[in-house]
Amino acid sequence: MHNASTMQPITGAKASAQARPATHGGSWKAWIPALLALFAIPPLLAGNPFYVHLAVLICINIIFVNGLSLISRTGQLSFCHAAFMGMGAFAAVICSTRLHTPFAVSVLAGVGVATVAAWLLGAVILRLQGVYFVLVTFCFGELFRLVLLEGGDLTGGANGIANIPPASIFGVALDSKLSFYFLAAACAFASTVLLVALFKTPRGHSLDAVGDNPELAEASGIGIQGSQMFAFLLGSAMAGFAGALLAHYLGFVSPESFSQHVSVAAIIMLVIGGRGSVLGPILGALIMTPLPELFRSAIETQNILYGITLILVLKFLPMGLVGIAARLRGGKGGAR
Amino acid sequence: MDFTFLLGQALTNGLIIGLLYLLMAIGFTLVFGVMRVVNFAHGEFYMLGAFSAYVCVTKLQLPFLAAVLATFALTLVAGWVIEVVVLKGFRGDELNGMIATIGLAMILQNGALMVFGPDPQSMPAVAEGVVSLGPVMLPMSRLYVVAFSLAVLALLYGFLMHSRGGRALRAVVQDIEIANAQGIRSQFMYPLGFGIGVALAAVAGALMAPVFSVSPSIGSTPLLKAFIVVILGGLGSIPGAALAALLLGVFESVANTFMSSSFSDMLLFGFVILMLIFRPSGLLGKAGR
Repeated sequence: MHNASTMQPITGAKASAQARPATHGGSWKAWIPALLALFAIPPLLAGNPFYVHLAVLICINIIFVNGLSLISRTGQLSFCHAAFMGMGAFAAVICSTRLHTPFAVSVLAGVGVATVAAWLLGAVILRLQGVYFVLVTFCFGELFRLVLLEGGDLTGGANGIANIPPASIFGVALDSKLSFYFLAAACAFASTVLLVALFKTPRGHSLDAVGDNPELAEASGIGIQGSQMFAFLLGSAMAGFAGALLAHYLGFVSPESFSQHVSVAAIIMLVIGGRGSVLGPILGALIMTPLPELFRSAIETQNILYGITLILVLKFLPMGLVGIAARLRGGKGGAR
Repeated sequence: MDFTFLLGQALTNGLIIGLLYLLMAIGFTLVFGVMRVVNFAHGEFYMLGAFSAYVCVTKLQLPFLAAVLATFALTLVAGWVIEVVVLKGFRGDELNGMIATIGLAMILQNGALMVFGPDPQSMPAVAEGVVSLGPVMLPMSRLYVVAFSLAVLALLYGFLMHSRGGRALRAVVQDIEIANAQGIRSQFMYPLGFGIGVALAAVAGALMAPVFSVSPSIGSTPLLKAFIVVILGGLGSIPGAALAALLLGVFESVANTFMSSSFSDMLLFGFVILMLIFRPSGLLGKAGR
């Protein structure tokens, strides 16, 4: 009822940013080598396992936030993204530890469970919009955590599941941080390329169209439900994939690893990095993942800085840090 | 321990807790109604209210009534200032406003952690003794909560229904443009609505401080309950929130008597999700959006 009028400021800001991919479509050719170079840095720091550990977490977060960004570009902000990560993690771990399936099969099972759950949930909740979608996903995330806590033997209750066998591919065990990094980096890179490719297709444009102006999109013959469902499925599958990776990397899962705080952290990464651009999740994960690890001694100060940063970014850079680059380029373009 | 006794006790306790949820939810509804923003920092104002009452009573030796009044006044002013300084740019902006309140919640909660430390503090009870109504036993301290909550609700009703400011606030909630056209200064109504809303949460916190312990993390549960109440009651509907708050309190109290608390929570969330899907306008809301 109030959606139409109150969504205007957001869609307005988004629409202006959406003009970018069309005018700067070639810039991706420059970005991809830069991205590859970025992924190549951590192995050079292999002497310090802590940096490699951070790099693995950043890669997993990139996949996780990429999924959230896909959903958010169709105009829905999911507050239960961590629940799908948890489903992927727990399903994969249960396969690995009980059925002793190979790593790849477990990950596939995790992704499958997250996707099916997203399909079931999405079928009923995607017709809600704005605040109502936020509230229902928030409640679902809490419900999921309670189900994990009450899961008895299957989920290990509050203790979770420990002693998860390390990942292995083609018989090679990825039991060191560095070897797992190569897997995580390849997956993060692949998920980013997937999004870049998707948003170059008509399907991707239709997702942006639905996020920008649902009424107009529908009038142009784009199904809102279908587009949002597609994004919700693919985004949640990416979260499930990230969860399965994380569980096999850490060797431990518990309900608290997938609480609402994790969903909110993903939203913060996305907002600070930038919605409406494929670079946003990368920047967000890159900047926000290491901070809590580096400032463990001053966690309160650091959280306060987080909050202040979040508000300042919302106020002055509604398109996130990516918006700075866009603004600079926009300025140059104007001079031309 | 017969069945009717258990049920009677559970119903009474439920109504008391329900009154508290009501204070939380009305504040939340008021903020949403005026600003169209889901206030994720609402639970932190509950927490601040509890600490304010704790400091007033234990450090400044004020009587409890004065502590509650001081809490209300302080958070009203704080809410006003926060609205003008932080949230001004997000009025009516559902999505960004909501994310901004997440940032606000982080600042408030971690600020309290730095000032008060993570350990739970306990506050002396307001009153000793127990009153028995037939077979049902009521601790005096909880009766105080009931009396205070009812007084606050009556004052709020009087303000909203029978004062100039209250009428203006309701007009802004109903239709901001028409309200502006009628000469209502909405630039005062935004901070006023936010200030009163969060001050109600703070009063709820102050009232519960002597009953539960006080720590920087106590805000999250009341926030979740406020969410549930406003979903069940319908976003922006105060009568709906009143009905839903009392129902929620009674349901929780009765359910916790007869089943495990996490199972009753699961039932509740399941019900809330069904409610959002089939009747998003809430129990008393108008059908269709």
